[in-house]
Amino acid sequence: MDGTMLPEVTAVGVIIKAILILAVISAIAGFGTYIERKVLAFMQRRVGPNHVGPYGLLQLAADGIKLFTKEDIIPQHANRLIFAVAPAITAATAFIALGAVPVFPGFTIPFVDVYVPSIASDVNVGILFVLGMMAAGLYGPLLAGMAQSNKWGILGSARTAIQFLSYEVVTGLSLLAPIMMVGSLSFVDFNNYQSDGTWLVVYQPVAFILFLIAGYAETNRTPFDLLEHEAEIVSGYVTEYSGMRWGMFFIGEYANMITIGIIASVVFLGGYNDWWIFPGWIMILAKIAFSFFFMLWVRAAWPHVRPDQLMWLCWKVLMPLAVINVVITGIVMMAG
Amino acid sequence: MENRVIKIYHGPQHPGITGNMSLELDLLGETIKGARTHVGYLHRGFEKLVERRTIIQAFTIVCRICVPEPDPNEENFARAIETLAGIEISDRAKYIRTMVLEMARVASLLLWIGGQSGSIGLGTVGQWSLFDRDLILDLFEELTGGRVYHMYIYPGGVRRELPDGFLDKLFELLDYLEDRLPLYDKVFFENATFKKRAIGVGVVNRDEALKNGYVGQVLRGCGIKRDTRRDNPYLVYEDLDFEIPTFNGCDVYARAMVRRGEIRESIKILRQIIEKMPKDGKIMQKIPKHRRFKIPKDDTFVSTESARGEYSYYIAGDGSEKIRRMQVKGASLIHGFTLLEKLLIDEELSNVAMIMNSLGICPPEIER
Repeated sequence: MDGTMLPEVTAVGVIIKAILILAVISAIAGFGTYIERKVLAFMQRRVGPNHVGPYGLLQLAADGIKLFTKEDIIPQHANRLIFAVAPAITAATAFIALGAVPVFPGFTIPFVDVYVPSIASDVNVGILFVLGMMAAGLYGPLLAGMAQSNKWGILGSARTAIQFLSYEVVTGLSLLAPIMMVGSLSFVDFNNYQSDGTWLVVYQPVAFILFLIAGYAETNRTPFDLLEHEAEIVSGYVTEYSGMRWGMFFIGEYANMITIGIIASVVFLGGYNDWWIFPGWIMILAKIAFSFFFMLWVRAAWPHVRPDQLMWLCWKVLMPLAVINVVITGIVMMAG
Repeated sequence: MENRVIKIYHGPQHPGITGNMSLELDLLGETIKGARTHVGYLHRGFEKLVERRTIIQAFTIVCRICVPEPDPNEENFARAIETLAGIEISDRAKYIRTMVLEMARVASLLLWIGGQSGSIGLGTVGQWSLFDRDLILDLFEELTGGRVYHMYIYPGGVRRELPDGFLDKLFELLDYLEDRLPLYDKVFFENATFKKRAIGVGVVNRDEALKNGYVGQVLRGCGIKRDTRRDNPYLVYEDLDFEIPTFNGCDVYARAMVRRGEIRESIKILRQIIEKMPKDGKIMQKIPKHRRFKIPKDDTFVSTESARGEYSYYIAGDGSEKIRRMQVKGASLIHGFTLLEKLLIDEELSNVAMIMNSLGICPPEIER
């Protein structure tokens, strides 16, 4: 199949796909805020946004206009360069990470007969690349907090460091066991490994749960929403941000939520394979949507943890569990 | 080390606290090394204001002393004037007053659930409890015409007769609330994260508790059975059968569990009131010349159990129409200054809001 594709076509395809990812994911990330508000409202016996457009659907546009037209304020004593770059780091790394995850099964464009793999670039160390990019994204909050010369910002970036040190080990170790089973770091191989219909979560339930917990910490979601808990540190690292700079942090956050959803779906939940009568692309959309919904559900049902409790949880509970899981997987593989 | 201490102001806006007060915190990392309460955002001088007013003028002021819970203020004021004037109110008025006070207690405790859960980032329970509190406020609106400020308990009795079918509506509401309470248990009181965060945090010294004059849930959370309704009964509390929930632990969780029990006890009390309320009787005793009522040259001290603990008024008259002196003693001053500043030392920054909420501080009441 790859043989039929000319190098120029591949290059153009990659650019088109990159633009598509940027456009579609930005839109979805924006729409995600609407979904989040509606779902939370539903769980909290409220109505949620309902003034702008039918069912408040245009709230997204209203928010966008507001963010874009707000005055751009940089505090006097802030480090202007870092202050300006930090939101871009968060947003950019989130989108770069999405470049190496496959979302749909590959398909052939009718009439011209060109096969299109639905991944911007199938890096052979895909998982490593994505995790690395998402980890690099944490530099955004870290630098933002320190650049704005605000006490709450500094507390926020200190918490970012705590969070980063806590979950990163667990994310890696929890994915190590599935990687051992599949024997590859490419997402496409993960998907093909599960093409017989048996999801990896059946073999690796512990790893799946560990990955979800670490993923929530990674995307800065409740219950690990330490960086900007308003009852404790005002807004943490975004205290001095406003307008679209502020918005970029949140586009990044929502893009990361989608990435975590895609990784969970592809690695553990059978990826974009067909299931029963449903084609693969519907399956993966459903899985990503459920994973997104699950994050909102958790937000509605759980309080925040303290920073020291997150460290305790990650280092004393989750990491040993992850290591034991890896060891057991290894023993079983050796025996089998 | 000196240089590494950052000073921050926590407040004056707080999630879950009805009013403004700020906390000046010295932070070393996220550990608090020093805490000082600053008030002054809400000083309205009520104690001084009423000195130049007749009782009917002062009546509209007292209920504004503590915003989320005006009824204990009204009850204290009314009872103090009645004691001074030697007026005995009818049984029916007493029952209606008790009912209003208990409804206010349930509403206030539901508001507290919202604040406490909001302070740890669990917005859902807060929204639920405020919804349920709203249903009580609806009943208040029907009964008194006001949702938050009722101005219902007036010296001499109560201002209005119960509307038709009010008790039936109250009964239905109690059934509904009782159905809802297990939900709060599941999501909030038995929430593993809440327990993990609240147990062993904000521990009050049990020996100091009585000596320093802490009241309400802080005492009962230390296992000390103190409740004005039982120790120094007023209205009809002597005839009612209720428990005083206590909990050992002296921490945030103990105080939460005490409040959880109090909602149930209040519902029990309300059910008894619906059953026992006399069918007829004057709701308002005639006060001689009540617009120009001369307060005798005497003083009195009355106390009520509010949802935050013992709540007392001292009122003195000098034989003229004006009140000579009024002094309010509530839970918030001692809890908000002495106790809070003490509890916050060596705590994490994450716990500040939670501890502050658990003490039941009402900033408008600190400054009056």
